[in-house]
Amino acid sequence: MKSNRGIGAIALASVAILSLAGCTQGSANNGGESEDGAVTLQFQSLSDQPATQEAVKAIVDEWNTDNPDVQVEIVQAGWDGAFDKLITQFTGGTAPDIIHFEASSIVSFGTDGYLADLTDLIDDELKSDISEGIWESVTQDDQIIAYPSTLQSYMAFANADLLEAAGVEVPTGDTMTWDELQEIAKATTTGGTYGLGWGLASPTATMMSLGLGFDGGYFDGSGADATIEVGENELAVPERIHEMAYTDKSIEPTSLTQSGSDVLASFYGGKVAMTVQGSFQATNIANDAPDGFNWVALPPLEGSEGAVQAANPQTYSVNIDSEYVEESADFLNFFMSADNLAAVAYADALIPSSESARTEVEKLAADNPAWTQVLASGEGLVGPPFLKVEKYTEWKDTIATPAFQQYLADQITSEQLAKQLTDGWADIAG
Amino acid sequence: MTSKRPWWGTVLMYVALAAFLLFLGFPLLWLLSASFKSTSELNSLAVNLIPAEWDFSNYTSALERQNLITAAGNSLLVSIATMVITVLLSMPMAYALARLKGKLRATGTIWILTSQVFPSILIIIPLFLVLRSINLNDTLFGLILVYVTFTLPFTLWMLQGYVAAIPAELEEAGEMDGATRITILRTIILPLLAPGLVATAMFTFVSAWNEFFLALVLLQSPELYTLPIALRSFLGAEGQTQLGPLAAGAILATIPSLIIFSILQKKLTGGMLAGAVKG
Repeated sequence: MKSNRGIGAIALASVAILSLAGCTQGSANNGGESEDGAVTLQFQSLSDQPATQEAVKAIVDEWNTDNPDVQVEIVQAGWDGAFDKLITQFTGGTAPDIIHFEASSIVSFGTDGYLADLTDLIDDELKSDISEGIWESVTQDDQIIAYPSTLQSYMAFANADLLEAAGVEVPTGDTMTWDELQEIAKATTTGGTYGLGWGLASPTATMMSLGLGFDGGYFDGSGADATIEVGENELAVPERIHEMAYTDKSIEPTSLTQSGSDVLASFYGGKVAMTVQGSFQATNIANDAPDGFNWVALPPLEGSEGAVQAANPQTYSVNIDSEYVEESADFLNFFMSADNLAAVAYADALIPSSESARTEVEKLAADNPAWTQVLASGEGLVGPPFLKVEKYTEWKDTIATPAFQQYLADQITSEQLAKQLTDGWADIAG
Repeated sequence: MTSKRPWWGTVLMYVALAAFLLFLGFPLLWLLSASFKSTSELNSLAVNLIPAEWDFSNYTSALERQNLITAAGNSLLVSIATMVITVLLSMPMAYALARLKGKLRATGTIWILTSQVFPSILIIIPLFLVLRSINLNDTLFGLILVYVTFTLPFTLWMLQGYVAAIPAELEEAGEMDGATRITILRTIILPLLAPGLVATAMFTFVSAWNEFFLALVLLQSPELYTLPIALRSFLGAEGQTQLGPLAAGAILATIPSLIIFSILQKKLTGGMLAGAVKG
């Protein structure tokens, strides 16, 4: 009967556990007003880096000290599954007052009427401090539905020693053309080394962003009536990558199936001379690269229309059903002040949306030369057409990503790629 | 009538078992290795099972950062409670399903199979609204109820198979000796059903222990997060993975379930029926 004791113990423990579970209730209770009249705002933050969480907490603590009547409570959540969590919260009426997310993902929440119009609540000074292109990315039907906070661009990082060994000069201009990138990649491709490692396991965001450099906007119009056009401009980036991979053979083929972070190991190991990454990797490379690893951030990539990329900023929105929309906006105006936004952006290794915060980040990052290029790449960020498209996320996940993956695997031609993207949109848009 | 196995047969059997064990255990071994590697080593191209330098900072980072201890406690509480309630409920129901005849049984069977058809994402919003109306959203008790609801049909189906495998003659023999239905259940069926109950308990425990989506949506307070939610927070917005702390967290997350399994696995033996009925 000894063997029954374990099970008996578990059963007994469970009774106690159940009693305990019955009493266990969370603290997320949609903010509200306390007995002394103080308002508590719930702020669902998705910041995942320890340094960023600390920066956000410091801002909230400062606000709470200065504003005893309007207290902010951080509800920490994660990016993974955030959309599902939010849609359930909105539908169930339990969404927090302040919502952290990203521009491309809040489009449907805005369309469904869950987000407050912040147009008249945003500080005028802040409005003028952020470019029209970035405001455009969070504007829906002439209503600003979010504060755009931090952004990322795509940029090339290079192993300076490998470039030197190949007799290639490191580009130092304000921008770098795709032709230059292609030439350097070819020149640095030798027996055991490829010129470029590019993590394109999820290629759509990269294609949509860099495509703007060639005026490849893909979509025209907004909401459910948007139309798609996949022409020469839209195909410029995928065709260029395809050419480098299969004609020049200067892109490490495995990297095309990996995530950006996965490719960094090949970059550190000297297996690829350059890698295209999200700009936030500048800080990771600075922290994680082997001792003595001689790396540089190359100038922003320039297409036929300039060094233009898509602005898909992280955002802070206010729940339209919140009883404290104005108080939430007041807090966000404080959160977005130059010092605060710079602290968050620097901790997250992202580009702040406002000019004054970028100036602050330059000071914070004075000892990291890569940041100069990171911030320079932020100059060309504009609101992309896809942010206005209601079913973009569905098209991206079910049509575009598999189609781009097939093209990058050399399984379909660029004409077939264009057809798949176009027909797929027609199916989804109905 | 037993035939003695040749020595080389025994050797071959153990070699095959060792190979199978290695095959199954290697991912866990690799995870353990990764949890002790420094960030620079994890970012290198070197493929070595033994870390070049043993780095324990991943464990401190994992424990400090994501409330893993609290999350592990929540997961344990939810999983054990789900396991116990499900087993207690499904045992008599499975007996009825296996032994009773008639329309009720057919209806029950259809209900079980139908309930398995709906994906959780389809009913998450109605479920959320129902829980909210009874003040059970954002509570572990609410999550336990949901888990029981989701696991019960399958465990019922699983357990009724075990009941059906118990020879009816044993019950008839009990009846002839004057035993009541309850006595038969307690003294004959339950001991013979033990391996099935353990298998069901294990299945339920693992299902609840690993479940992510329902916990993500139904729990809003960080102090109530379960382990899968806490571990996912090591994955960032742009596909960034903090591999070291994630590996350390994953190792820590497996320890409680290993303990539970080591307690339960002794009961997982199907040999109790051998010789119960003479052919």
